[in-house]
Amino acid sequence: MSTYEIKFSVNGNDESLAVRGDETLLRALRRVGYVEVKLSCEGGDCGACAVLLDGVAVNACLVFAAQADGAEITTVRGIGTEDDLHPVQEQLIEKGGVQCGFCTPGIVVSAKALLDENAAPSREDIQRGLAGNLCRCTGYKKIFEAVSAAARQISEGGGS
Amino acid sequence: MSERVVGRPHPIIDAAEKVSGATVFIDDLELPDALTGMALRSPHPHARILRVDTSAAERLPGVAVVLSKNNTPDAPFGINHKDEAAFCREKVRYVGDEVAAVAAVDEATAREALSLIRVEYEVLPTVADPFAALEPGAPLVHDSVAGNVANEFHIRRGAIDEAFDEADATFADEFHTHLAHQAYIEPTGCAAQWHPDGKISVWGCLQSVFLIRTFMLAPVMGMSADDFRVTQTKPGGAFGGKLDVKAALMAAMLSRAAEKPVKFMMSLEEDLIAMRPRMPVHISLESAWKRDGALAGKRVRIVAENGAYSSLSPAIMSSIALRTDNLYKTPAAEIQGRLVYTNVIPSGQMRGFGNVQATYAWESHLDNVADGLGLDPADLRLKNYTEKGDVSLHGWKIASCAVADATRYVVDKMDWKARRARGGKGRGVGLASCIHVSGNKGFSVELGPDDTDPSSGVVRVDEEGKVEIWSGESDLGQGATSVMAYIASEVMGIPVERFKVPPTDTGYMPFGMGAFASRITLIGGNAVKLAAEDARRNLLDAAAEAMEIPADELEIAEGEVRAKALPERKMAVGEVVGRAGGVIEGEGKWLAGGDVLDKEKFGNPSTTYSFSTHGAEVEVDMETGVVTVLQVCCGHDPGRVINRLGAEGQVEGGVVQGMSYAMMEGLAPLEGRLRGRNFHDYLIATSMDAPPIEHDFFESMDPYGPYGAKGLAEVAINPITAAICNAVYHATGGARIRTLPVTPERVLEAIEEAGR
Ligand code: FES
Ligand code: FES
Repeated sequence: MSTYEIKFSVNGNDESLAVRGDETLLRALRRVGYVEVKLSCEGGDCGACAVLLDGVAVNACLVFAAQADGAEITTVRGIGTEDDLHPVQEQLIEKGGVQCGFCTPGIVVSAKALLDENAAPSREDIQRGLAGNLCRCTGYKKIFEAVSAAARQISEGGGS
Repeated sequence: MSERVVGRPHPIIDAAEKVSGATVFIDDLELPDALTGMALRSPHPHARILRVDTSAAERLPGVAVVLSKNNTPDAPFGINHKDEAAFCREKVRYVGDEVAAVAAVDEATAREALSLIRVEYEVLPTVADPFAALEPGAPLVHDSVAGNVANEFHIRRGAIDEAFDEADATFADEFHTHLAHQAYIEPTGCAAQWHPDGKISVWGCLQSVFLIRTFMLAPVMGMSADDFRVTQTKPGGAFGGKLDVKAALMAAMLSRAAEKPVKFMMSLEEDLIAMRPRMPVHISLESAWKRDGALAGKRVRIVAENGAYSSLSPAIMSSIALRTDNLYKTPAAEIQGRLVYTNVIPSGQMRGFGNVQATYAWESHLDNVADGLGLDPADLRLKNYTEKGDVSLHGWKIASCAVADATRYVVDKMDWKARRARGGKGRGVGLASCIHVSGNKGFSVELGPDDTDPSSGVVRVDEEGKVEIWSGESDLGQGATSVMAYIASEVMGIPVERFKVPPTDTGYMPFGMGAFASRITLIGGNAVKLAAEDARRNLLDAAAEAMEIPADELEIAEGEVRAKALPERKMAVGEVVGRAGGVIEGEGKWLAGGDVLDKEKFGNPSTTYSFSTHGAEVEVDMETGVVTVLQVCCGHDPGRVINRLGAEGQVEGGVVQGMSYAMMEGLAPLEGRLRGRNFHDYLIATSMDAPPIEHDFFESMDPYGPYGAKGLAEVAINPITAAICNAVYHATGGARIRTLPVTPERVLEAIEEAGR
C-alpha cells in the first residue's frame, strides 16, 4: 500500500503527516491526537466521528485521509472548548442534552453545521439535521431543545 | 421540602468536559508503548477444536504474544455458573467465542497474526432453538449438562388450583421476545498494564470495577483481587452491557504474558456478536379472575434462552418469573422456569434485567383480560395495584408506591376515556405499568463480599474548599455521580461547582458493587449522604476551634461557615480546612435493606421498589402494517427527584430505547449466526424516530431513600413495549403482537388473525 504525504489544518493547527492510502480521516485524526473525534461504527452509520471538512459536516470514517489533503478541518474542539463554549455546547449543558457524552462531539458538529445553514430551524429541521447522529442515552428530546435554544441564543447575538 | 439543591434541575457535573470533547474514553487513553490486543473468534456456532496451531503467528515480527488453550490454564469462570473459559478448550459454542488472542505492535500486525493462526475444527450439529435444545437426543452445548438445562425451578404459592377452579374467567397467552443488544455507541474496550512486581493495572468502560476483579480477573488468572488495580474510564453508554466484560480479561492476560501494556478494543461488529445482549424469552401465561376484575391467580411458564454461557442469565430468569406478581395483589401463583443452553451468543442483562420482557408479556396479557372481562384496561390495573404497606405473595415489602397516581396522570393527560371510545380505526392508545427493585440482595451474595449489598463513600474537602467524592459506585453516563454531588452539596452547604466525583478506582476508593439493579441513587446515595454529614460535622468542629464559636452555633452556606446569630462572623470552608491541616474527610457506609431470597425464591430482595406507567398513542397503517408512535405520556415514581434534569433525561432516554427495542431492534440469529453486525443492520432509534414525550414524577417520598429517592433507570424503560403493543391492539381492533419486535409483517399477521 502506498503512503502519501499530506497536509491539512485542524482547528487552525497545521498538520503534516504520512498516511497509507486506506487510512481513513478518522483514524488519521485520532492517530495524531484529535481523539475528540470518536470512533464507533466506522461505517457512516452513527455520526460520532463527524467533523467539518471545509465547513461541511462529514463522517470522518467515510473519507480517506489522503482525500483531505489541503483541507480545513474543524472538530468539536475547534467549535468550542470548556473555557469558550459555543452556544450549541452551552445549551446542551443547560438543557441536559448530554449524558454519556460519546455521541456529543458529533452532535455538536452536526448542530453547528445545521445552524450555519438554517438560523431558525423547526423541530423537524433539527430532527432531519441530526438524523445521522445516533444517541442511545437521551432519547433526543433534550438535544432538540438545546439546538433550538442555541439558534435563539445566536440570533440574539449570544455568540456564533 | 426546603432543600436548596435537591429536586431542582441541574446539568450533570461533567457536562462541560463532555460537550467539548475533552472526556477521555477508553479508546482515548494514552498508554505509551501499548500493544494492540485482538481476539480470534469462532466462525462456527458449534465445533470441536482438534488443534490450535499458533506457531506461524508467533514467528511474525512485531507479535509479542499469542494466547490460546495451549498456553493458558483451564480455569472456568462465570457469575452464576462457572461454564466459560478465557479461551475455548474442547469446543467452540457460539460464533464469536474467543479461541485465541494476540498482542502485537500495531493493529495491522495483530490482524495478520490472527490470520496466521490455524485452527482445526470438527463441525458439530448446531442447536440454536431452545425448544429444539430441550428435545430428547438434542446435541449438547456443554457435554456435562444433560438436556441443555442450565437452571430450572418450579414454585407454587397460595391456593393456586382453587384460584383457577373457582375463577369466573380464565385467560391464556404466549409471548416471545427477541435478542437485542444494549447498543451503546462506544464499543467496549479495556487496557491493562503488567508491573514488574506482578500486579496489574486495568482500565475500561466498566460498570463495576470491584466486581470484575472477583468474578473474572482473579480466579481466571490465579491471582488475588488485590493484585489488580481497576480504574473506570467513563463509559460511552452501558445499559447493563458493561458489567460482564471479557475484554478486561483479554487485556490483562495479554499484558501479563507480554510484560507490556496492552489495549484491547473491540470493533462494533465484535461487540454486537460477542458481548452479552438482552435475553430472549418465551413466556406462557394463564390467569384466573373474578367477575369484578380482581386477580385470583396466575400460572407462568418460561423458557429462557441462555445462549452458550450463563453470565447473569439465571438471575435474569428469576426476575422475569417473579417480578410482575408484586405489582398487583396476586393471591396465588405457580411459576416454572427453564433456562436453556443453545449455540447462540450468551445472553445477559440489559436495562430492566428481564423486566422489560416480563412486563411486555404480562401487561399485554392484561389488556386481553380487560377486553375479555369488558373492563377498561386502566381501571383493571387500578383495581389490582399493590399499595404502600403491602407484602406481596413472594414476600416483597412495598415501602412506598405511587403507581396509581402515575396511571391517573397518564389517563388524564391522554384524554384516555375519549380516545379509548374511538379506537379500531387505525389509531389507538394503550398503557402499561411496572415495578422495579432499587438494588437486589441476590447480587450481593453472588457477586459481592457477603449478603449486605453495601456501599461506602468518602467525602474529602481540601484547603481550597473543593470537594471530592469517592464512591465505589460508578457513573455510566446517566449522571449517577452527579446525583451524589447534588446530595452532598445539599448536606454540606457547598456549591456543586466545587464538587468532583472521579471515576471509580479500586486503587484508593472505598468498596462499591457498581451500577446495576437501579441501586446507585438509593444505596450509593445513602452512603454518600452519610459521608457528607460526617464531613459537615468535622468541618463545623474544625471551624468551632478556628472561629472560637461553639459548633452548634455555626452553619455552612454557600461555601462559608457562618455564625448563625452573627452572619458577618464567617470563614470560607477552604480556610477552615487549611487551618485544620489541609484536609477534612467524612466517611459513610450504608447496607441495603431486604433479604436474600430462600431456596423457594421467597423474601424481600430490595430495600424498596420503584414504579411507572407508560402510555402510548399509535397510528397503524392497516394496509402496510406500519406503526407510528405519535406520542408517549408517562408517570414515574422515583421516590423523590434529586436532579430534575437528570431524571427527565433518564425517562426520555429509557422510553426511546424501549420503543427502539419494541419496534426495530434485533440481532436476528439464524442457526446461531447473527445478522445484526453494524448500525445499518442493527437499527436503533434515530432522531427521526423520537416521539414527543410528556411526563411527570409522582414522589412517594420513600422512607429509606436519601431525601426519599429510589431508583429510576429501569422503570423508565420497562413498560413502553407493552404500552405500544396495547395501543396497536386498540388501534386495530384486536391485533395482538405476540412476538417482538413489532414489525409491519407481524402487525399484518396479527390483524389477519384478529379478523378471523
Ligand atoms: S464512526 Fe463514523 S459514522 Fe460511525
Ligand atoms: S449521550 Fe450517550 S450516546 Fe448520546
